[in-house]
Amino acid sequence: MNKIESHCLMCTQSLKITISWKMILTKQFSPTICERCVARFVPSQSATSLYQYNEAMKDYLHQLKFLQDVALAKVFRQELHNRLTKEKAIILPIPMHPLKQQERTFSHTDELLKAAHIPFIQLLEKTTTETQSSKNREQRIQAAPLFRLKEGAQVEHKNYLLFDDIKTTGTTLQHAEHVLMQSGAKNVQYFTLIEG
Amino acid sequence: MRYRGWLLPPALRDFHEGRIWLKDHSPFSSVDLEKAIQRKYVSIIEGIQMKPAIKCNRCHNTDPHLFTQFDCSKCQQQCVYCRHCIKMGRVSSCTQLMIWTGPKAIKINKHSLKWAGQYTELQQQAANETLASMKAKRSHLIHAVCGAGKTELLFPSVYDALKRGLRVCIATPRTDVVLELYPRFQQAFPETTIHALYGGAPYQNGYAQLVIATTHQLYRFEKAFDVIIVDEADAFPYTFDETLQRAVEKAKKEKAPLVFVTATPSAALLHTFQQESYSFIPKRYHNHPLPVPQVRSLWGYEKCFKRGKIPKRLKKWVEERLHQKDPFLLFFPTIDLMKRATPLVQELNEDILAVHAADPERKEKVLKLRNKEVPGLLTTTILERGITISNVQVAVIGAESLIFTANALIQIAGRVGRDVQFPDGEVLFFHHGITAEMDEACAKIQFYNKKGFSE
Repeated sequence: MNKIESHCLMCTQSLKITISWKMILTKQFSPTICERCVARFVPSQSATSLYQYNEAMKDYLHQLKFLQDVALAKVFRQELHNRLTKEKAIILPIPMHPLKQQERTFSHTDELLKAAHIPFIQLLEKTTTETQSSKNREQRIQAAPLFRLKEGAQVEHKNYLLFDDIKTTGTTLQHAEHVLMQSGAKNVQYFTLIEG
Repeated sequence: MRYRGWLLPPALRDFHEGRIWLKDHSPFSSVDLEKAIQRKYVSIIEGIQMKPAIKCNRCHNTDPHLFTQFDCSKCQQQCVYCRHCIKMGRVSSCTQLMIWTGPKAIKINKHSLKWAGQYTELQQQAANETLASMKAKRSHLIHAVCGAGKTELLFPSVYDALKRGLRVCIATPRTDVVLELYPRFQQAFPETTIHALYGGAPYQNGYAQLVIATTHQLYRFEKAFDVIIVDEADAFPYTFDETLQRAVEKAKKEKAPLVFVTATPSAALLHTFQQESYSFIPKRYHNHPLPVPQVRSLWGYEKCFKRGKIPKRLKKWVEERLHQKDPFLLFFPTIDLMKRATPLVQELNEDILAVHAADPERKEKVLKLRNKEVPGLLTTTILERGITISNVQVAVIGAESLIFTANALIQIAGRVGRDVQFPDGEVLFFHHGITAEMDEACAKIQFYNKKGFSE
């Protein structure tokens, strides 16, 4: 996974990489997309996410999730690493339903964190194969519980940080938070790559 | 009494014959697929081959940079997938590709050629030569200037192949060309089932004996065609992307002939074919000479645009076109420069539009120009070929840029004067210094005119 990309992962243009001392000494990741593609992503104003949702993000999510291009999980590894490496809370990526995960062959939230070298654990499991994106706002808010504790999982009286790719209405994160708080978590916060 | 056996649905056979397809993406039910596999109508191969070297079995990509390894949740192993053809549905180590080996589709040998046009002497000769080559299973090159009527002269060869029960593919690197060729062929062969395949094309019913496809779509075929005609054989990305050339090779049957059709053949193509099976048409179908480009200096045009002004000479030319109500195309070397110039040109006439490759309204905008709803278009090299607009006038801004190769310039000049009613028109190369490519383009066009009108 740590090979140096010779071409931009998004537009396949060749990448001009100069390996600088800064990159080596501060152990930075090598870039995976070209400057033109970087410029298409707009940073988020909020403290709980990195980017805003826009046309570029739509393309990105389409290629990562729908076309199953796992290599794209690396695109934001530096930014995610910077933000999460000093995090003291225990990081929990939002899980996919096992059947869904088999269909997609990977869990994108896990892969995003793995690419950024962020340690995480898993305590929850998804109860339904329905997707949030197929529902409208009312349906989302009134949905039955989306998560339950994994068998044998122990929630400690500690701080937890939920991680997901995108937050639109926040229903998914609320459901996960509810389960954790009920099971005795001290505090649950969330962080997403994209603010919808 | 109900029949309890299983009958092969004809649609399944018709669709999969000749194709190499992701098993999970088949448009048919898994029950039917499993039955077909049981009967050995389908052979299943692995998506990615690891030995002797890593290779994608669909697109034949072998570049190790374009493979990515990951922990697969489906097979609980380390899997590799190909990023080269990912837009067609991912092929990874644990995906299965299916190739049809079952009964052949039933061909309806009822074809008719409904084309009432007349060939010129040169067209007739080239058509005969092509037909002779195809009958002898020999590959052939048709080198004909822009507007020589290349498509029409393919009709007899295609008709002959269809009648003999052969499966024919017309492949081209550009989606625009597929969209333009499809209605013309459907009109000429009204009784033949023709499929047009390109990225985002809808599912089409039945078995097509004639397929018009982008070269990209040929990744999805294997040993399917008895003849492949490659139209615009020199267009980007075909010459640039070697896997596309291999795709053509693998989509045809082993001994099937190839026909290359182009206005600007590469040196390699010419070298291979010039001695034997080669047809050359230096004259347009309407018997008028090709418009020769005029070279005009436009010093420091880039700075001028940066300052927010249109260079005077260009402004004068555009105003003249607007005044005479001639439709026009302005070709720009980069999208950036075009975007900078767009609002400035729009000051002269606000209806003028700009198009580039990623523009979703590309087709509509070209149509608007054709219908005279807009006076002109700003464009990148994307419109250099395949479009025909009556009485169009053309200017290239920054003709010295590297992107404007001699071939690109010849194609651009070839947009002008294609209509019998307006056989002449202006082609201007506005430049900041003359390049060898520009000289070559002009020299070649003059050479064709000399060849075409020497007798």
